[in-house]
Amino acid sequence: MTPDRRTFLKHSTAALSGGMLAGPEALYETPTQSPEGRRALGARVVRALDAPLLRAVGDAVLPESLSANQREDAIASFELWLEGFDPVAELRHPYGGDVVPYGPPDPTPGWSAQLEALDLIADARYQATFGELDRGARRTLLQEQITDPGEGLPSTARARHIATALMAHYFGSPVATDRCYGVAIRRLECRSNDTVGGRPPTVGS
Amino acid sequence: MPRRVESDICIIGSGITGILAAERLTELVDADIVMIEAGGHTTPVRDRVEKRRRLVEYGENPWEGDHIPDQGGTGLMYRSMAVGGCAMHWDGATPRFSPEDFRQRSLYGVGTDWPVDFQDLEPYYQDFEERVGVAGEQGPPEYDPRSAPYPMPPLPLSYNLEILREWGASADIPFWTQPWAKATTTEHGRAVCRRCDTCHVCPTGAKFTPDLTLDRLIAGGKLRLVTETLVRRLELEADSDRVSRAMAVDRNAPDEPVEFYASTFILAAGYCWSPHLLLLSADGRYPDGLANSSGLVGRYMSGHPYMSAQIDLPFELYPGMFETNSLLSRMYARPGPLERYVRHDLRIWDSTAGRQARLRGDDGRIHFGDSVMDDWRARTRRSSARVRGYYDVVPDRDSTLTLDAGNRNRWGDPLPRIQFREAPESAELRQYTHDTMIALFERMARAGGGSVMSTSFSPTMEHPCGGCRMGDDPATSVVDSHGRSHDHENLFVIGAPTHVSGGCANGTPTFTALSLRSAAEVARGV
Repeated sequence: MTPDRRTFLKHSTAALSGGMLAGPEALYETPTQSPEGRRALGARVVRALDAPLLRAVGDAVLPESLSANQREDAIASFELWLEGFDPVAELRHPYGGDVVPYGPPDPTPGWSAQLEALDLIADARYQATFGELDRGARRTLLQEQITDPGEGLPSTARARHIATALMAHYFGSPVATDRCYGVAIRRLECRSNDTVGGRPPTVGS
Repeated sequence: MPRRVESDICIIGSGITGILAAERLTELVDADIVMIEAGGHTTPVRDRVEKRRRLVEYGENPWEGDHIPDQGGTGLMYRSMAVGGCAMHWDGATPRFSPEDFRQRSLYGVGTDWPVDFQDLEPYYQDFEERVGVAGEQGPPEYDPRSAPYPMPPLPLSYNLEILREWGASADIPFWTQPWAKATTTEHGRAVCRRCDTCHVCPTGAKFTPDLTLDRLIAGGKLRLVTETLVRRLELEADSDRVSRAMAVDRNAPDEPVEFYASTFILAAGYCWSPHLLLLSADGRYPDGLANSSGLVGRYMSGHPYMSAQIDLPFELYPGMFETNSLLSRMYARPGPLERYVRHDLRIWDSTAGRQARLRGDDGRIHFGDSVMDDWRARTRRSSARVRGYYDVVPDRDSTLTLDAGNRNRWGDPLPRIQFREAPESAELRQYTHDTMIALFERMARAGGGSVMSTSFSPTMEHPCGGCRMGDDPATSVVDSHGRSHDHENLFVIGAPTHVSGGCANGTPTFTALSLRSAAEVARGV
C-alpha cells in the first residue's frame, strides 16, 4: 500500500470509528500531519482530551482509595500514552502469522466526542456538568454509556469508551498489579540478580 | 548485463542456521563465502530499548522493516525476512530433542527414523550451546542426557517457579529450568540477562541474536553479506547436475539482475523458503523443481501441536516476575516402552489466568474503582499455573508446501502455500494423546490440592520444519544426513527443512546442530 493511500485509510477509519461527521476534505491529512511527516519534521504530536472532563471520569472509575497524587499520576500516564500513540502502527507479528497485523486508528476523536457527550447528557438530565455530578451519578451515567463487551477489560487502544480505556490503562499497569498484590512484583521491569528468590517485598497501598 | 558475484561458497539466507554454519566454515576452511539475504537490516541493538518500550505500551512490532510486503504466502509462516531471520525475535528457548525423537520407527513403530541419532548429534548440540551461550540446568541424566555441562549456569528461578517446582515434585515429576540462549555470565561478551520479560526484543543484549555473530564475521572479513537481494531460482550447469548459479534480483535495482556463482551452494532459507526456492527452480530437465527426484520437496511438512491447561492452586504466587521463564520436564519425552504411542514434553509457568482486573463482576454488572480492585484482589488469594506439552506427531506425505499460482510477488513468482496434515497413524492417536495428557494435568492438579480450570488444544504446528527431509535413500528423502542433495552434489539444504519430524521440543537447537554438522561436510569438499 502506498503511504498516501495508507494515510487516507488511517484517517478515514479514525473518523468513522469516532462517529465524526466530516466532509470528504477532512479525510485527507497534509504531509505534516502524517506520522511520516511528523517524524520528518521532528514535530510533537498534539493529541489531547479535555483535561477536566477526563479527570472527572478518572475520579469515577479509578480506585477511590488512590491518593490525589496517585490518581493524577494514573491520568497523566494515560495522557502520555495517548500522546505517543501511532495510529495503525504495525503490531507485533503473531506466532507463525502469514498476515502482518496493524493497530487501530487514532481513538482520540471518538473518545473526545464521548467526553463531550457526558457533559451534554449531564446537562440534559441534571442541568449540571459531568464534573459537577457526585461520583455515584457519574458512575450511573458511565454504566449506560459503556458498551465494551465481555467480562474482561479491553486493550487500551481498542476500548470502545474513554472510561474503559482509562480503566484498562490503569488496571493493566505494573503499578496497579503491585497495589492489588500488596508487594513489589515490578512487572516488566528489568531487574538485577540480587533480587532473586524469596517473596517480593511488601509495598504500602 | 547481469551483475556477477563469485565465491567459493554461496549461502542463501542469513538466519541462525546460515550464520552459525558460516561461522563454523570460517573456522574450518579458508574460503570466500558470500551470504545472500532477501531482507535488509532490522532494529540495531542501540534502538532496542526504545522499541521495547513501544512494544510494551502499544504492542508495536519492534523489528523495523523486517518483512517484504509482497513476499508472503498462505499458511503457517513467519513474515520476518531480514538479516538474522526469525532468531532476531525468538524467545531463546533451547531444549534438545530426546534420543527417541530420532528413532520413532525403531522404538515405537510409528513415523520414520532419522538417518542420524542423538549420539551423532550430541557434540553438535554442545557446539551450538557454546556458540550461542546457553544458560541451563542439568536435569536428571536419564531424562536430560548430555556429555558436558551447559556453558552457563541457569537463569535464576523466581519465587513463583521455586514453589511450582515443589508442586511438580509432589506429583512425582522432576522439573528443571528451561535452557535459554540468554547470558547469565559475561563470558560470551553479552550482558547478563536482567529478566525484563520482553525476550521478543531483548533491551540489554543478553539474548543471543544471530546478528551479533554475523557482525563479527563481516568485521573480520570472513564473509560478504549481500542484502535486499531476492534469489528467484537456482540454475544447473549445462552439462551436469551441479548447481551453477543463483539468479537474484536486487530489490533496490530491479532492472539489474544479479547472478551468484559458487562451487558450493548452501540453502539456509528456513522450512518455508528453502523448498519454495527449489520448486521455483524447475526447468526442462527437472520440471518438478531441483533436488526433487524423490518428489518430496515440499512434503512431510511438520511441527508439533500442544495441549495445555490452566490449573487453580492454593498457593500464594505473584505472577509477573519474569513470566517468560518456565520449568521443563522431559520425563514424558523419554517414556520407555509404550503400549500406545504418546510422547510430549511438559512445562510449567506461573499464570494470571482468571486473576486479572475485570470490567464486569460475577453479577455481570460493570464495576468501577475500589470495587474492581477488591474483586481482583479476592481472586489472587489462590493462584494459576499454566502447564503445556508439545506432543510428537507424524507428518503425512501430503503435508505440503506448494506453489500458489494465484498468489504472486511483484516479480511474478508464485508464493508458497503450506497445508499441514498428520499421517493417519498419528491422527488416530490424537484423542488418546489428549486424554492421556488431560489425565496427567488432572493428576498434577490433585497433587497440589487444586483443580483444572480449563484445557485447550492448539492445532498450530509450532516450530515448523520439513519440506526437504533427510534420509539415506534418495527415493524417500531429499537430502542425506549432512543436508547434501541426493540429486546435486554441490547443493546443501540445511536447517529446519531437513527435519524428518518435529519432535516434542523447540527445533532451533536441533536444526542448528544439524547445520553445524553439515558445515563440517561442506568444508571437507572445499
